[in-house]
Amino acid sequence: MTAENKQAELNVVGHSVPRRDGLGHVKGATVYYEDRQFNDMLYLKMVRSPVAHGRLKGIDFSEAEKVRGFVTALTHKDVPNNIYTILRLIGVGPDDEPVLAEDRVRWKGEAIAAILAETVEAAQRAASLVKLDIEEVEAVFDVEEALKPGAPIIADTGVNYFIYENEMDHRQVRLGDVEKAFQEADYIVESRFQSSPIEHAPTETTGCIVVPEADGRYTVYTNTQALFFSLDNAGITLDLPFEKMHFVGGTSGGGFGGKVDVIVEPIAILAAMKTGRPVKFKYSRPEEMTISSPRGAWRLYYKDGVMKDGRIIARKVTTYADSGAYNRHTPYAVTKHAANAAGPYNIPNVAIDAYCVYTNKAPSSAMRGFAVTMSTWAIEQQMDKIAEVVGLDPWAIRFINAYKDGDMKPHHKVVEDATLIEVMQAAAEMAGVDLPQEYKEMSSMQEVSHG
Amino acid sequence: MAAEIVSFMLNGRETVVVTNPLETLQSVLRDRLGYMATKSGCSQGGCGSCTVLVNGEPMVSCLLPAKDIEGQEVTTLEGLTKSGAGEIHPIQQAFYDNFAMQCGYCTPGMIMVSKALIDRAQRAGTHPTHDEIAEAISGNVCRCTGYQSIFEAISDASHRISGHEWSGGRDIGGKTK
Amino acid sequence: MTVRTYYTPESMQEALELKARHGFDLHVIAGGTLLMPQINDGLFFPELVMGLRNAGMDKLTLNDAGLSGRGILGATSTMSQMRAQTTYPILQEAAKGIGGWAVQNMATIGGNLFNQPPYGDFAVALLALGAQVKIQSASSERVVDLNEFLTGGRQMAANELVTEIHIPEQVAAGFITQTITGFKKFGPRAASAATIVSVAAQIDLAEDVIENSRIALGGADTTARRSPAAEAVLNNASTQDLESLAAAAARAAADSSEPISNATASAWYRRQMIEVQLKHLLGEMLESAVPAA
Repeated sequence: MTAENKQAELNVVGHSVPRRDGLGHVKGATVYYEDRQFNDMLYLKMVRSPVAHGRLKGIDFSEAEKVRGFVTALTHKDVPNNIYTILRLIGVGPDDEPVLAEDRVRWKGEAIAAILAETVEAAQRAASLVKLDIEEVEAVFDVEEALKPGAPIIADTGVNYFIYENEMDHRQVRLGDVEKAFQEADYIVESRFQSSPIEHAPTETTGCIVVPEADGRYTVYTNTQALFFSLDNAGITLDLPFEKMHFVGGTSGGGFGGKVDVIVEPIAILAAMKTGRPVKFKYSRPEEMTISSPRGAWRLYYKDGVMKDGRIIARKVTTYADSGAYNRHTPYAVTKHAANAAGPYNIPNVAIDAYCVYTNKAPSSAMRGFAVTMSTWAIEQQMDKIAEVVGLDPWAIRFINAYKDGDMKPHHKVVEDATLIEVMQAAAEMAGVDLPQEYKEMSSMQEVSHG
Repeated sequence: MAAEIVSFMLNGRETVVVTNPLETLQSVLRDRLGYMATKSGCSQGGCGSCTVLVNGEPMVSCLLPAKDIEGQEVTTLEGLTKSGAGEIHPIQQAFYDNFAMQCGYCTPGMIMVSKALIDRAQRAGTHPTHDEIAEAISGNVCRCTGYQSIFEAISDASHRISGHEWSGGRDIGGKTK
Repeated sequence: MTVRTYYTPESMQEALELKARHGFDLHVIAGGTLLMPQINDGLFFPELVMGLRNAGMDKLTLNDAGLSGRGILGATSTMSQMRAQTTYPILQEAAKGIGGWAVQNMATIGGNLFNQPPYGDFAVALLALGAQVKIQSASSERVVDLNEFLTGGRQMAANELVTEIHIPEQVAAGFITQTITGFKKFGPRAASAATIVSVAAQIDLAEDVIENSRIALGGADTTARRSPAAEAVLNNASTQDLESLAAAAARAAADSSEPISNATASAWYRRQMIEVQLKHLLGEMLESAVPAA
């Protein structure tokens, strides 16, 4: 079947298809979670930690309770299983983050108590009048400082890193012998990279509205990116049978990975359960920008052994993912990251050590390309640097080292369906770059010798 | 508490509401009247998703006390869609045809500013130039599209309104006659 | 709702009477761009608020003689009105950098004076014009130099309102051959941005000698203000070597600044940018004004 024949049979691929939700968007008729009205709705405002690290000794609601419109306040005592189940639900564990803080706060902005009131103003007012008794303790904000002996310990496990499979303090990938290869290399190229945490800043902030239904179920209107994930998490946290919840969503005013943490639904559902009234929990814009999870910052060290002809024969990678005060999805990310941290290149000797580190900052989470974007960013700068050191064209360095079908990846998986070479060839053509003939003729498929 | 009665023209219709003191037009539109097209992205005037037209001029409704627009004409995105036949405004059609949205949250504010921009340019006998579009939408944050499709949609819309052919892509600016 | 009453006076007189009656308990808004965000985010819970949008305090009296005439700008005139007027190009430029179209339709020149530094770009442009602030109560009025008002902590009595901004007549001595003005805002992006620094200048030239100058800085201190240090370098200086003159004035401005650090920029960076932006502004202004030898 030729490409043309195939094209003619296709109804969607290769055709311009209007967006299913396009008309709703341009008419302003698309229904976001907040575009619904319910009688007797309560507003939830969260009281948050003003310090990065401390012992939470007490909470005084007496002034808050006097605010006209105050209805109730929820603390950790009200939450049946006071722990988010993010890691458990993706087959990793253990979980560590409380829905509401118990006796410690580990980052500035951590949720401590939920205020429920008749109006937004009353909720804001009451929340501002809650008095917190917190004994501030030393905090640590840098990933490598957090791993040094004597650093303030953040996690209940007693260490500032995620423990993999109950025994390992980081993810390791080994192929060949990097130290021996470094001895043989013509050049050693070393770099240190530091990325910043990046806020997704969706135009619509995170939020949900929970409505108790007459049949005893709860309808949760939410802009989460992960409806079932959210439902499962809420069910376990609240000891609520899954069939008691009906999650309605799929319409999000921007997520980009920032609405996968399933944070707001459990407490809002709990509030609806306790009060018997609809509850709205909406992040304010300052909350969205400061306390919702950012893309995690990463510190990456690359040390490469390179030959005069441009071949990278050894790559040693040491990375530290800044998970912030809690895990969220980062331990899973670091595993994925470790597998990809050497890049799509055929390197015979690779050592990767990837750490998931805690600091007293907002817990970080997913954002487009989760776990691989930052290492790709580092690797490609490193490749350009190598090209400069060796005196070769940046395209050449990549073609010389590109992986192909049949190559061995650092984590001991054989490469299948590689397309780096073909993508680079197409990119060069689109950019008007005339590649040398030998690169134009390269292929991801290894030569098959016929006997 | 001194509640207020505010009467104004909303999308061509005489409208009366009872509001709290200092209640914003955004709150009146969404919470009192159920007109949900006008969004609420920041409450600080910085994202533009709450943009409406007051006497044809863009304003951010989250900072606008409803009492201030007593007797004035307010237009929201709902006002662009003709009822009955469900006909939509050429600007809405151009946004749809040019994929000038993804999540859709900035779209209402974006379209309202576009309407004011195109009206102003048409009065001067021109299509909005690239720089005019850039300036006009600089108060409307879009986190999804990268804005290029919005530039094209606005140019396309301006051409449709003056009955011209739009040659697509970078065909931005020029005279309407 | 904590707000008990929202007043919308329909004249300046009515506004002043309300302020006399309630004093500091009455919080004033015009465009709403400063107070409404605080109320919306639950940072401030006022009980009495007065909105001046419809009090008729937005009139502009602009002399036909342009820059040399006296201008009276109503305190609630908006940034959009400032962009539409052509008498003072420097005010058009400053208004352009404040928010987007909708915010410019709402933000007022009076309100901008009360912005937290380093915001409040409009004051920087006004300072370069030697502006004054008219402050009235129901029973009194006074006119204060804007630089004094800002550096003196914006002192106002409980019953006072800013009602007008005056651009004084630029009394041109016969030998002044040219007057040039310029404004530059530097922020993290090109439009609708927070301020890192903003700089403004008005220079009176007698041929190629600077007869008089006003240099204003935003982001160089805890308030927008004039820079006597830069002005001392410029006044009476020849513009023969305008590059080194601009550099020297800019360095003097930077050396005498004490910028603040905030999320937008550090004090260190602001000090660097005061020098860079002022040097660019002065260089551009002088180059276009002084004919090549």
